[in-house]
Amino acid sequence: MVFSSLTFLYFFLPLSIVFYFAFKNVRIQNFILLVFSFIFYAWGEPVWVILLLFSALLDYFNGLLIDKFRENKSIRLLALVNSIVINLGLLATFKYADFIIQNTNFLFGTSFTEPNILLPVGISFYTFQTLSYTIDVYKGEVKAEKDPIDFLMFVSLFPQLVAGPIVRYAEVAAQTRVRPFDWANVSTGVNRFCLGLFKKVVLANSVGILVEKYLQVQFNDLSTPEAWFGIVLYSLQLYFDFSGYSDMAIGLGRIFGFTFPENFRHPYAATSVANFYQRWHKTLGRFLRDYVYIPLGGNKKYQIRNILVVWFLTGLWHGASWNFVLWGLFLGGFMVIEKVLKKYFDLLPRFALYAYALLVVNFSRSFFYFDDFDKLGIFLGKLFYSPNPIGAGWGTDLASYAFLFVVVILFCIPWDEIFPKGSRTNDVASKYYRGFSLGINLLFLLLATALIVDDTYNPFIYFRF
Amino acid sequence: MRKKLEIGLVFGCLVAISLLFVFGPKEKISLSEKRSLATLPALTWDSYISGTFSKGMQSYINDHFPFRAQAVRLTEAFRYNLGFHLQNQEKIVVVGNPNKIKEPEDSNLDSAAQKAYLEGFEEFDAGSMVILNGKIYTQNSGDPAISPYFAKMLNVYADSLWGKARVFSAVAPLSSAFIPLKSYERYVGRNEATLKAIQTNLNPGVYFADVMGEMNQHYNEYLWYGSDHHWTGLGAYYGYVAFCKAAGITPVPLSSMEKKVRKGFLGTLYELTRDQSVRDNPDLVETYIPPGIETKAVRYNPYDLKNPQLTKVFCNSANYSTFICGDAPLMKITTNVKNGKKIAVVKNSMGNAFVVYLISHYEQIYVVDFRYSKHNLLKIMKDAKVDDLVFAVGMYAAVSRGTIGMMRQLAYQKNQDYSDVLKQEEAQRILDSINGVQDTVVVQSQN
Repeated sequence: MVFSSLTFLYFFLPLSIVFYFAFKNVRIQNFILLVFSFIFYAWGEPVWVILLLFSALLDYFNGLLIDKFRENKSIRLLALVNSIVINLGLLATFKYADFIIQNTNFLFGTSFTEPNILLPVGISFYTFQTLSYTIDVYKGEVKAEKDPIDFLMFVSLFPQLVAGPIVRYAEVAAQTRVRPFDWANVSTGVNRFCLGLFKKVVLANSVGILVEKYLQVQFNDLSTPEAWFGIVLYSLQLYFDFSGYSDMAIGLGRIFGFTFPENFRHPYAATSVANFYQRWHKTLGRFLRDYVYIPLGGNKKYQIRNILVVWFLTGLWHGASWNFVLWGLFLGGFMVIEKVLKKYFDLLPRFALYAYALLVVNFSRSFFYFDDFDKLGIFLGKLFYSPNPIGAGWGTDLASYAFLFVVVILFCIPWDEIFPKGSRTNDVASKYYRGFSLGINLLFLLLATALIVDDTYNPFIYFRF
Repeated sequence: MRKKLEIGLVFGCLVAISLLFVFGPKEKISLSEKRSLATLPALTWDSYISGTFSKGMQSYINDHFPFRAQAVRLTEAFRYNLGFHLQNQEKIVVVGNPNKIKEPEDSNLDSAAQKAYLEGFEEFDAGSMVILNGKIYTQNSGDPAISPYFAKMLNVYADSLWGKARVFSAVAPLSSAFIPLKSYERYVGRNEATLKAIQTNLNPGVYFADVMGEMNQHYNEYLWYGSDHHWTGLGAYYGYVAFCKAAGITPVPLSSMEKKVRKGFLGTLYELTRDQSVRDNPDLVETYIPPGIETKAVRYNPYDLKNPQLTKVFCNSANYSTFICGDAPLMKITTNVKNGKKIAVVKNSMGNAFVVYLISHYEQIYVVDFRYSKHNLLKIMKDAKVDDLVFAVGMYAAVSRGTIGMMRQLAYQKNQDYSDVLKQEEAQRILDSINGVQDTVVVQSQN
């Protein structure tokens, strides 16, 4: 099930809220969240729910084992290795099997058949979440969770199950036991959820229509400005889609009394590529920093190698295809350049840094969008030179989506960094926002609903009765 | 208090709408989408595990959601107001899912793969469209590499019917050839090339009606609907004139026909694009009725000639189905033109508006929709002694191997004994003339 569906918004969500708040006892509430989370997951993945259960129970027992044999280093290590091998094994099997076999066949001339397993939804997120739990227990950073219901709920919690944020157990451990009801929490959650829904359904999907048009349908006829237009829009679509989803996840979490970590912080206001990814999908960056980059030596030993390894893995995590690896290494390469040439970058004026970051990041989205290397090559060429004239409809698109572009740009500007909390402008703006928030939430919800309904409108040319 | 109100509003809205869904009335079909709406899926272990239950449930909720029509209208207004609108500035939109079914490599007509392919084949106008001043034009422009196969298919018919019936090609161009902007001139050339490729590949003795040439002489007239993928009654009239020129017939002048105008037509392309500028410019449905002709028409089911149903040449509807009351697998029109001339028209929906003008020249008109008819065309023509065979189709049909295959299939498919029907009709006609009933086409079951 996805948040931006009528089934979720108008059936699953109200039912889960009614059942949840019908009880005051946190243990019962946890159980209800667990049941709803499994219904949520099993709705789209009736079979692979077993995999989720397996991954969660595996780390539940690994955690217990490490906790129980805290003094016995070899058992602790065994449990840790068990968790790493099995979780990464699950990922390798269900996400990378075809990729591994294709490359093996290519390199060694073998002819293994690809199993063509359909990727279970959310596997990249929940395996990382359970893995991080076991590592944290091993390192002694958190205590093992004794209650299987609470632990299963932490892993399967539907707001963050399929697309993050990747929550660390330490962040919500206390909240699994005590979550006092607070209207302010619910209200903040509702606001955040409606905002996320708006970003995903209204902004990302509207921009997405143009992305498809420029990067797919008119691909062969693109001029250089149109190619840039298409890829910048794709970059914005990704941002509003993913950050909108994260907003919805964080908002839903708040409604149920959980505080999830933030996942985005105005990435388009970055001053370098490294800075961009400190602001984009922060919980993934944090995971790879803590569990790969720092163990490899971090800033202290082989930094350049460490950066490239982390970005190789980041690329691979995003998809089982070489274009994602290329994307990761491209960005990693720029981060290395930024480290090496830091003193020169420091001399540049701020606007040049913004422009540089935007240019590199938007350019890199090409690797992300085209998994067909032939097309990718042609497209990268078009970003520099294309003999095609600017298409006739471009001017119309610029005009007829003008307000959308303005809203999109306004949403990318880091207002709270320009006018920090406590500043006079922030106070005034917050006051006005509160004045309108009643209407804004409802507007976001109803507009998004109308757009989702419109998506289900499926006319035929001839009668199909 | 304020926070509670904030939460209450959103939550109340969610609950109220879901209750409306549960207790509200449910429609069975959606006329504007031309499809049946999803039914409530049955929950079984198998349906659950395979995921069909959740998909079915999702479709059911989507299809029956409260205020669905209003939501679609609101979205349309929202999208329209996302920016400014410039006069004479075209907008390009991409609609539909132009998934093409791949034709099997084994092209033996009787092979199961070929039959399954033709059964599953659907003509579908999807892809890129240009919206200009409230009118939608397709950006498709034919394919001169495929249209020769259409010509070759006609040659095969002409060979089979040699000495018995004349064969005509009357292929309509696409609206892309009529986009009134210089920057789209390339489509004119492509349309012309596609039609030219048909003409040059027709064997001597097979007739070519220059539909595009005739329409071009009236370039600025109302030839195409702005909201639909069909030509107008006027556009089809020029197609008919082109046919008359090829067939050596004098066309009935437009001025002598009775003109009826119905307002407010929003057709398929509007439904696909949902563009408000088009909604603000609804089409007129103009029909031109040839003078002094009485007609009787019947339509048959796809597979047999049993249970014919009465129908009409002009229907009282304010959309494209005003012409021959929409598509039928096989239709027979009998007129009071007592010249003994008979014609068979192979058509897709573009032919509907064309057929209506033929009533001035033929006593019997057999209208075969190649997409639905399972009757054997050659057998019908032989039994009824048909004089002319015209392929009056839109260009889509002439540039797709699937549709060309279907038209070819008409000559080969199941052999129906049409002579029995004709005998019964003749018997009834004699009976009626004894009883004093004039010009009645027999509507009688073979059973």
